[in-house]
Amino acid sequence: MNLWDLLKMGLRNLSRRKARTALTVVGVIIGTVSIVSMVSIGIGINETFEKTYMENGAMTIIRIEQYSANFDENGNWAGESKQVLDDNLVNALRGIEHVKAIAPIIDQSGQLKSGKYTTYAQIRAIGRDAFGEFGFPELTYGTYPSENDYKKIVFANGTLQNFYYSSGRKYETKVVDPTDEKVTFVFPEWNYQKNPRKKDFKLEMNPGKGNFAVMAESDNWEYNSTCYMDMAFFKEIWKEYASTLTVADRKRAMQVLESYSSIYVNVDNIDNVTDVQDAIKELGYGTYSDMQYLEPLQQTSNMIQIVLGAIGALAMLVSAINIANTMVMSIYERTREIGIMKVLGCKVYDVRRLFLYEAALIGLMGGIIGIIISYLVSFGINKYGQPIFAAIMQTSAVYDVEGAKFSVIPFWLPFAAALFGMFVGVVSGYIPARRATKISAIEAMKSNQ
Amino acid sequence: MNEEQKARKKMIEVKNLKKIYRMGDEKIRAVDDVSFDVMDGEFCCLIGTSGSGKSTILNLLAGIEKATSGEIILRGKNIVGMSEAKLAGFRQSSLGFVFQSYNLIGTMTALENVELPLIFKREKKKIRRKKSIEMLKKVGLDNRMDHKPSEMSGGQQQRVGIARAFVAKPKIIFADEPTGNLDTKTTVEVMTLIKQMAKENHQTIVMVTHDPTLTEYADKVIRISDGKIVETKIN
Repeated sequence: MNLWDLLKMGLRNLSRRKARTALTVVGVIIGTVSIVSMVSIGIGINETFEKTYMENGAMTIIRIEQYSANFDENGNWAGESKQVLDDNLVNALRGIEHVKAIAPIIDQSGQLKSGKYTTYAQIRAIGRDAFGEFGFPELTYGTYPSENDYKKIVFANGTLQNFYYSSGRKYETKVVDPTDEKVTFVFPEWNYQKNPRKKDFKLEMNPGKGNFAVMAESDNWEYNSTCYMDMAFFKEIWKEYASTLTVADRKRAMQVLESYSSIYVNVDNIDNVTDVQDAIKELGYGTYSDMQYLEPLQQTSNMIQIVLGAIGALAMLVSAINIANTMVMSIYERTREIGIMKVLGCKVYDVRRLFLYEAALIGLMGGIIGIIISYLVSFGINKYGQPIFAAIMQTSAVYDVEGAKFSVIPFWLPFAAALFGMFVGVVSGYIPARRATKISAIEAMKSNQ
Repeated sequence: MNEEQKARKKMIEVKNLKKIYRMGDEKIRAVDDVSFDVMDGEFCCLIGTSGSGKSTILNLLAGIEKATSGEIILRGKNIVGMSEAKLAGFRQSSLGFVFQSYNLIGTMTALENVELPLIFKREKKKIRRKKSIEMLKKVGLDNRMDHKPSEMSGGQQQRVGIARAFVAKPKIIFADEPTGNLDTKTTVEVMTLIKQMAKENHQTIVMVTHDPTLTEYADKVIRISDGKIVETKIN
């Protein structure tokens, strides 16, 4: 028998018992919808993670801060401890496997002035190599510090937008463009006592000298609010600044250069972050990473996927049993017909195919209708499921919960689901179909005579 | 036996055919050492009472039942011990069946029922449709083609059965009490039809019946009793 004849005969037989076929198909629909929704939520959550990771660019970064939070066995906060971050530690870190880059950091406060306007500038001094390693954003002006051209400040986009002027009742804000307006960098006056006999330290930004650059707006808040500087350049200007201070404060200021405020470690792969973090812990240092917040979240999402997967698998199992039952009934009803077909020269192979095709058709129909319903379910999840997922993900590094999609059906999923439906049909129809081939023609024709 | 008959080749050869059923410890010899030949184009009638074993012989000949021992040679091929798959192929190419209870498929129209053997033979749709329509016209049912079996009388159903048996032009036709469910008038019509169609295509017929009046249509009559041949008569 050719394919078309088999399909036609299969459809005819299925339409013979419409209610039974419909009910069996409904079983497959429920199974398909469960599985497709499960997969789509799994993919949706993963995509949200990946998006967060891309935006943040910081999932592979481990931070070692000067002050490390301590936690007791139950994970409760138990005070802070100060840790010394110096070059010995940097060397120790180099020995850890999977460490791609290490960036010692010194943080200082700075101020930018432009006419009567001023703004606070968080300054972060970092090794010049780090600019290529830590996912820094594009520059809208200038270049990042390099070996021959390191005497510059890299402005954060956010810093330049927050110039303000306040006096008495007036408060004005302004966006300053350093390529167009005169900007001067100074260290704030409130930290150290100035030596009144010395000239004030200040650094004038000059497009001609190329001593500044501007970062493009970034989704990573750190790059949006922190100005960067090469470590060597920072040391130079800090020494210059320190020389303008009183003798007592000059000593105090010079201590800033002796240890780092923090050390950033970039790990080669997101999967190794936890391992490296554990290795640093063994050195006796507390660490932070976005991964450590993401991990419980991923566990939650894995759990959701397992639960949904179990529901889907159960529904599919029940529908497979349902198909098998339908096929057994159908074969029982058609015993005589099968006998006649065999006597008329229908090959055993064709008898088996006939029933397998019927089972596959049930699976395919259920699969296709199931996919259509899955799209509706997915739409519903994305539209109305927000609060549930937002609650689950709130504590996490997913910043943009509002815009996140929780159910994503990729283009291959409908095809995979239809094929899977067919596959389930064929598998559950196989034993009944085999039974049909074993029917003896003579017995079959005796029955119902 | 004249010269012409001698020259004809044997279409069916049955040698020492036995079929033994086991019922607990008891052995029932349904077919007990039967041997006979049927020539090409011959109309052979197996007659006997109910339970004589005549239907079992037919089933064995058709390969529907497995023989306990002996040989059944159809068109030179021994079908005893032939695999299911080969047997199915052999049925497609060489055998046709007419049944007492018609054995039409209830969900199919007359035309579709007649087409069935050709579908199994994977004939092209156009060709098989043409052949089937032609065959239904021959049995006088051109106005009943789209009717389902339940919408037809017994005589009409049996004509569909005959059309189905002959449509693939098999060399051998087996008929098991083809008129068993029909009245006298229809019986004559159906028997005439079978005989006429077999003659047209020079086909061999083996028919089983308990009705002595039907033996007049046959060339050779074999009487069966208790699983044995008790009489062979050439008409």
